[in-house]
Amino acid sequence: MTPIERSEPKRSTRASAQVQPMFHRVLSAQPETVRDTLQDVRRRFQGEVSDDTLGRLELVLAEVMNNVAEHAPAGAGAPDDSVRLPVIHLCIVRHTNGLACALTDDGVSLPDECILPRSLPALVMDDLPEGGFGWFLIQDLTQALCYYRESQRNYLAFSIPFAQSGAA
Amino acid sequence: MQFIVEDVVTHLAVKVTEPRIDAAIATPFKDKLREIVVKSRKPIHLDMASVDFMDSSGLGAMIAVRKSLPQNLGMVLCALTPNVERVFRLTRMDSVFDIRPLTAQKEHRE
Repeated sequence: MTPIERSEPKRSTRASAQVQPMFHRVLSAQPETVRDTLQDVRRRFQGEVSDDTLGRLELVLAEVMNNVAEHAPAGAGAPDDSVRLPVIHLCIVRHTNGLACALTDDGVSLPDECILPRSLPALVMDDLPEGGFGWFLIQDLTQALCYYRESQRNYLAFSIPFAQSGAA
Repeated sequence: MQFIVEDVVTHLAVKVTEPRIDAAIATPFKDKLREIVVKSRKPIHLDMASVDFMDSSGLGAMIAVRKSLPQNLGMVLCALTPNVERVFRLTRMDSVFDIRPLTAQKEHRE
């Protein structure tokens, strides 16, 4: 076969110097599918990044995607297919200092308080909080977290650094 | 979902066999474990060595179970894997649960 030079996409020399592992998946927002996807993400980046980074990535992605699933419209995913589950697009690329992640979904709009800096729910020993940890964990473990909504879709992007600053 | 329950002299040893405590199973996990612990008259020692991953819904389930314990009975979490330990540490819930290595004899002090 004669190689057709024209069909070869032109790459900048900088980009071609290092091929970085990436992951892309379109999935419906339900806990079982999220779980399968996370296990595939783990397999994709195992050996490419440290177990510690992989653990932080998996936790953040679980929190983000399960939030979309949790806030899916009532009745979504039922066998009669009358209400559609939100669809998540997930993309992860390894960069020099961390894993760049982008997620979009067509679920409900994200409330402002998720993205605004937040602290842990109050620790009252007699009545411990059983929720409210998800967005705290996302904010704690990510860098450059940004969000916008456009044409019925949520866009969320962040980075999981390889080394956590200030961590033991 | 399976728990391996062993009644030893000083406590009730419960081994979690699920590799993941996440949003997909948090509610049945909570219900099943609560069923086991509410009947206990001894402190609960939960062996978490097989759990590779836990998210905030799994943490919520653990907190709910701890809150359902009879008064004065403690809940000890043994042999947390790094991913599970991280969730307890970051949410400060390591100050609420008694977290220990699997056995007192096999101490892994950092």
